[in-house]
Amino acid sequence: MPHEVIMPALGMAQDAGRLVAWLKKPGDPIAEGDALFEVETDKATMEVEAQAPGFLTDVRAAEGDDVPVGRVIARISETAETAETAGAALPEPSAPSETAKKAAAASAPPDDLPEGRSVILPALGMAQDTGLLVAWHVSPGEEVAEGDVLFEVETDKTTMEVSAEAAGFVAAILAEDGEEVPVGERVAILTAEKPTAPVRQKRSAAGVEAPQSHEAPAAPKETPATERAATPPVATGGRILASPKARRLALEEGLDLARLVEAGHPQPFHVRDLEALKTLQDARPATAAAAAQATRRFNADIHREGFSEFLAWAAESEGHADAPALLAAFAAASFRSGREHAPICVIVERFGEESRHLDPDRAATGRSAVPDEDAPAPDLILRDLRHVSISSVELGAEDAPVLTIMKRGEGLAVTLECGAGHLSAAAALELVSGFTGRLEEPLRHLL
Amino acid sequence: MREITLSQAVNEAIAEEMRRDPTVFLMGEDVAEAGTPFKVLSGLVEEFGTERVIDTPISEPGFVGLAVGAAMTGARPVVDLMFGDFIYLVMDQLCNQAAKQHYMSGGKLQVPMVLRTNLGATRRSAAQHSQSLQAIVAHIPGLKVALPSSAYEAKGLMKTAIRDNNPVVIFEDKLMYQDKAPVPEDEYLIPFGEAAVLREGRDITLIGTSSMVQVAGKAADILANEGISAEVIDPRTIVPLDEATLLGSVKKTSRAIVIDEGHQSYGVTAEIASRLNEKAFYHLDAPVLRMGAMDVPVPFSPALEDLTVPTPEKVADAARRLCAGEMIHAA
Repeated sequence: MPHEVIMPALGMAQDAGRLVAWLKKPGDPIAEGDALFEVETDKATMEVEAQAPGFLTDVRAAEGDDVPVGRVIARISETAETAETAGAALPEPSAPSETAKKAAAASAPPDDLPEGRSVILPALGMAQDTGLLVAWHVSPGEEVAEGDVLFEVETDKTTMEVSAEAAGFVAAILAEDGEEVPVGERVAILTAEKPTAPVRQKRSAAGVEAPQSHEAPAAPKETPATERAATPPVATGGRILASPKARRLALEEGLDLARLVEAGHPQPFHVRDLEALKTLQDARPATAAAAAQATRRFNADIHREGFSEFLAWAAESEGHADAPALLAAFAAASFRSGREHAPICVIVERFGEESRHLDPDRAATGRSAVPDEDAPAPDLILRDLRHVSISSVELGAEDAPVLTIMKRGEGLAVTLECGAGHLSAAAALELVSGFTGRLEEPLRHLL
Repeated sequence: MREITLSQAVNEAIAEEMRRDPTVFLMGEDVAEAGTPFKVLSGLVEEFGTERVIDTPISEPGFVGLAVGAAMTGARPVVDLMFGDFIYLVMDQLCNQAAKQHYMSGGKLQVPMVLRTNLGATRRSAAQHSQSLQAIVAHIPGLKVALPSSAYEAKGLMKTAIRDNNPVVIFEDKLMYQDKAPVPEDEYLIPFGEAAVLREGRDITLIGTSSMVQVAGKAADILANEGISAEVIDPRTIVPLDEATLLGSVKKTSRAIVIDEGHQSYGVTAEIASRLNEKAFYHLDAPVLRMGAMDVPVPFSPALEDLTVPTPEKVADAARRLCAGEMIHAA
């Protein structure tokens, strides 16, 4: 059932409000409590909030209009389509001159209710959004004179009597004693003629969902501090609740707290929750491995290699002959394109030994023989099989691209195996050609 | 090591300094011949005579003002204010005069004065003799504030205070005067701005001042039985404050409770907690908690009075909940 948006009474003596600005557009999704529009009275400008969720439709007042209090100016519907197309037309707005004097104005009677003048629950304070209907002083069908007390309403501050703005008959009472009614909602209908079938129903019977916050008026006003603290807080607006330290560590370790949220892990997150996050993230390589199954394989032969000679020369002239470090440097340099700002970690495997190299192609910042626990996951694995008799490998993709160097006659054979997810074909070709080129002509590396 | 009471420690400190420096003198209500408050100063008048141990009329503004003048002209007065609550009477002498002379004279005047007074409730002294007003003094630039937590601290801090060229207010815990602690026979001083780590811990830092250091220590005992390892730190002086030690500890444990017997609102605990938040924010896994006396006049009823101050059980309970991650509130 669409919810009618009514120009609210913001002051006791107010009979119209100027619609300053719409804060939502027709068709916009609306959550309960969203500010819908701004209204200016002689005292103040206020935002008016939606009383129900849905979509804003049937907007009937433009910015700048002076709208009588109680006039329906829009609807909040279940779909973004206008109510007209759904067959429930809005009533024609009555002339402002006629209603401007009245605190209660005409509004649309739904199908089965008598037509007449709506009596709305007035706003008795600026911050009030509902009022408790304490007691009716009239019955359905009763004749009332202008000024007769219709009902009593209680706010958090006071209890007040609301009087009839015009003489007539009580054709419908739409909220019962003891019900909490949103400001601006219709609570009765007055007609000029004696009604044939006067209506009396509870507000809840009219299908109006009471806002949740009003459903539990009996809730204790203040829970003891200890209990309150034990209730897990709720994040608002998509913000993740985490301690500053948990946030910092997650950032430093590249962990994504949003994954904990997805997993339904209770917030707020503390440092110890990062352990749960780590196991979540460790589960991820399963998909990565699947992607890596589709293997790319490249072979290249070098007929005359210059690497051994270069190594011997380096050992003699520089006293430096760390073959793994040099190979790692060649590989990293061939792999560098597109990774100018990221560290590259290369693992060099030879028979019986394995070493990790961080940015080996960078003289200033590179580190060789990094202890395992300090090294990040490898970006590249290099198998140096030059000194064994294996002549060809086909091992399939691993967690990182694998370059294998083998002896072939006077030269070398280089094989690159990688998952399709690791390297594009073009990048793989660039890596293989750059690496073989450096092995062939090591001086190229120095240039 | 020998053990002496806090009273004896203060007495020794003043006596030693009076022997060392003839410009040091003592005055206050009943400090000499009329019998000494809390029996702290017994024997001093016999040794130093009524020239240097002076009974004053019951006029706190008068004799504190006199001490400020004496300090400005070269003496080193130690002024005895019988109850910390009487600080209110000497606000002008202390905060407008003593605290500001050095600054307003362009450095030409110094006020090397010690105002010796006390704090602490649960002595059944009612609302006007039970307050812990160190926060009020610490708020005023130009005053140093020392809060000894045992006989050892009381002696070392008093000697440093007497030698300091600035006005220093020392608050002793009036319930601790008869408590004994190991105090070396040899002379020692405790520098200002150096916190003492009384117990090392891993999970939470309990920062206690004065009377609350014992409370923090007992809370740490309770927590240790439950497997929560609490570090206990005594800042010893809150002006100047040893931030480095406090921050270092909180960065290690990532949680902290600050405990002081002053009223909780707008107090010493708030200042320390705030500095930890500002300077160790990304090391905190829980909000820093303040624990002070209830924001009520200290009741005379013993049953009620005991409810107003932090206890080891209350501290342990708060620590337990911080460690369990129960105290981050939604923004």
